Amino acid sequence: MAKPVAEQGSNVLTQHSAAHRAVLDRLLELLPDDCVITDAAGLRPYETDGLTAIREMPWVVALPETEEQVAAIVVCCAEHGVPVIARGAGTGLSGGARPHQHGVVLGLSKMSEILTVDPENRVARVQPGVRNLAITQAAERHGLYYAPDPSSQIACSIGGNVAENAGGVHCLKYGLTVNNVLGVRMVTAGGEIVELGGAVYDNPGPDLLALLCGSEGMLGIVTEVTVALLPSPETKTVLLAAFSHVVDAGNAVAAIIAAGIIPAGMEMMDKMAVQAAEAFAKAGYPLDAEAILIIELDGADAELATLNDQVTELLRTHGAYRIDEAHDASQQARLWKGRKSAFPAVGRLSPDYLCMDGTIPRKTLPTVLSEIDVISQTFGLAVANVFHAADGNLHPLILFDANVPGQTDKAMAMGAKILEACVAAGGTVTGEHGVGVEKLDTMCVQFTSEELAQFFRLKAALDPQALLNPGKGIPTLTRCGELGGMHVHKGRLPFPELERF
Amino acid sequence: MPSDQNGLLIEQIKSANETQQRLAIQGHASKSSWLPVSSSDGVLALDEHSGILQYEPEELVITARSGTSLAEINAVLAKRQQQLSCEPPQLGAGDGTRGSGTLGGAVACGLSGPGRPWLGAVRDAVLGVELINGAGEYLKFGGQVMKNVAGYDVSRLQSGAWGALGVMSVISLRVQPTVAEECTVGASLSVDQSLSLCAQLGQRNLPITASYWQGGDFCLRLAGNQSGVAAACQALADRGLHQRQAEPQLWQQLKDHEHPFFQRPNSDSSSHRLWRVVTPLAATMPDFLTDPDKDALIMWGGGLRWMYHDDAAQVGEYSKAVGGWCWAIGESMPIAAMQRQIMSQLAKAFDPRGVFASPLGIAAVDA
Repeated sequence: MAKPVAEQGSNVLTQHSAAHRAVLDRLLELLPDDCVITDAAGLRPYETDGLTAIREMPWVVALPETEEQVAAIVVCCAEHGVPVIARGAGTGLSGGARPHQHGVVLGLSKMSEILTVDPENRVARVQPGVRNLAITQAAERHGLYYAPDPSSQIACSIGGNVAENAGGVHCLKYGLTVNNVLGVRMVTAGGEIVELGGAVYDNPGPDLLALLCGSEGMLGIVTEVTVALLPSPETKTVLLAAFSHVVDAGNAVAAIIAAGIIPAGMEMMDKMAVQAAEAFAKAGYPLDAEAILIIELDGADAELATLNDQVTELLRTHGAYRIDEAHDASQQARLWKGRKSAFPAVGRLSPDYLCMDGTIPRKTLPTVLSEIDVISQTFGLAVANVFHAADGNLHPLILFDANVPGQTDKAMAMGAKILEACVAAGGTVTGEHGVGVEKLDTMCVQFTSEELAQFFRLKAALDPQALLNPGKGIPTLTRCGELGGMHVHKGRLPFPELERF
Repeated sequence: MPSDQNGLLIEQIKSANETQQRLAIQGHASKSSWLPVSSSDGVLALDEHSGILQYEPEELVITARSGTSLAEINAVLAKRQQQLSCEPPQLGAGDGTRGSGTLGGAVACGLSGPGRPWLGAVRDAVLGVELINGAGEYLKFGGQVMKNVAGYDVSRLQSGAWGALGVMSVISLRVQPTVAEECTVGASLSVDQSLSLCAQLGQRNLPITASYWQGGDFCLRLAGNQSGVAAACQALADRGLHQRQAEPQLWQQLKDHEHPFFQRPNSDSSSHRLWRVVTPLAATMPDFLTDPDKDALIMWGGGLRWMYHDDAAQVGEYSKAVGGWCWAIGESMPIAAMQRQIMSQLAKAFDPRGVFASPLGIAAVDA
């Protein structure tokens, strides 16, 4: 519970400048007392997001209840040069919401109202703190739903989804957040309120809305989101196919796509992931399989019957030795349960794990998996692989024990090697989890100094004081320079004319 | 002939920096009458910077130089039963005297086809670009993979930028399999009946991929596998929408602006000012059109309404009131002040000296 500044503990007053005192006074003026958190116990939950290995105690947490309050807080912080770190539900996996020791954490959890569900226009207008799943739940009575479904959908908020351009298991068919959001209202770094897009399918000028998606709270703070709703599919089938070779499973994926079929979801798990998931979820996964595919098909009844036969046939001809079909909801939930609990299941095998998020061209999967195998042996840490096979997004889970001295660093270094392998295969260091603070170093592998400098100029165009979530998303050239030797981009020498920021 | 003109392009841009010239980026100039460039000292020609660099159907991605013609890309995709489902327009394909649009132009202008609400926009298909900025630096953003959140999404930002944020050299687009079966169903309906039917059907699980209303005629395009389309046709027949045999050109005509609605003869004394009005799907029609049957054509399930009307203020007020926006073809792009300010800042970040003479008029030197 916040108290007037005069009664605050001496820590705040002594550790921070006059600017901080002014900001704190203004926060207490703007917000009810219980919406300004300054005590250690209250701040503790905000010291980390879903990337729990990285922590920092925030200076103060503000929980605005209205857009006007958000704007007023940003204006005040801009005036005093104090950073603002927007935070949704804190489920992000890359440290994007890590607090700043001198900054205000702007928690948007109190702005959690579903403003309208409009079935005729097939849109919902919601505040940023609304949970992803709550949108679908509100639209269901109209036979509609919101398509992107990140694994954390029961907890993650739509504002955070926009900031991270969140994906999910249905991306290939239904797209990411960027493909399903039609409009946002946001507060700019200068504290102005601006609307991008709306309940419409087209906007004039450079696509600012697309730019905002995945910008990790560094270009603006989302205060309202208009999402597109889709008619719920009439029917779904979930198939589980077991393979004796990873390569066969990869070929089956390619064959399905080559046949012109875009499944709603297509997930692959390797042997270690299967065994962990089965021990945890008892989903009935085959323990002798080297790889399994879980495929979801959806659509109208008539459409689905043919599709089901086609896919089953393709799986067989590509070496699936066992295919389970789930037609009713409870069987389907069981098959999905193993996949959806793969992360916690792996967590049971090992005291800690690190989740990577590279994306690779699908055809390179066998090569990249065997490279990961070699990296795993070199570092002496085990890896379980979970793969959004449809869209090429690979989640290697590195198993380690943070209590063993040096293992955390080793796991991080190993993760960086894996991401380098993804980039070398023509992919990217992060498909859906974002850069945050976790992947700053690997960004140096993917981008040249000129490209990074362009990112910084873009950022400065929208946030000249660099106060919105500073230090995230884009590594400084200095940082990349210090890493040295990592960056060979198409044979060009790293940093021929390094600028120092 | 496919060729790499990057060296030449960079040289031209660097020299324009020195001589303070402004260059108009030009592919086939097929959209130049839609949004004219107001002033430029020279042309940065992209039409010879062409060629498909990579296309692997099972990866669902095509990568090509920006000057590659849409016609070539569509033909190559069609051979492998794939397509650009965002259906960018090929303007002027009919007159045969010039090209009908390049890949770069399609992305830069960001005009999406008849399937927009169901199949996605041009920007949705963009996976990566290689860009030359105003300083002549060659930069790569995005890539060839579906999911990519490394760095800001500079690739999709290019869509709708009309060249204000640099010249795209290479573009990777997501492609989709061609559907097995496509058919058109239709009925005679008033504009209000058609909008209300669209709103109802849009909430149902039907394989709709485009809609059309003009002059009392309403059509839906259905696409999917054979059994799915057959079942949908049956269901829609029960709602009075019957299969049309002779409509294969309708959707192509709408995509490429070759529908007779867009060819209003000069002899016609009514308005020739053509508006592209983007609205929420179920917005009501304006009351200022004296004869909607003659002056309006509706696509996108109600979300895109073409209108002939002289009074800009009326169209503007209507668009704003329903939560949409409007643009008169051939006139300047309307961008609200706040957004314009952000876009100008971005233009300065990519092209500090205003080398690119974008028709959007957001370059630093245009202000």
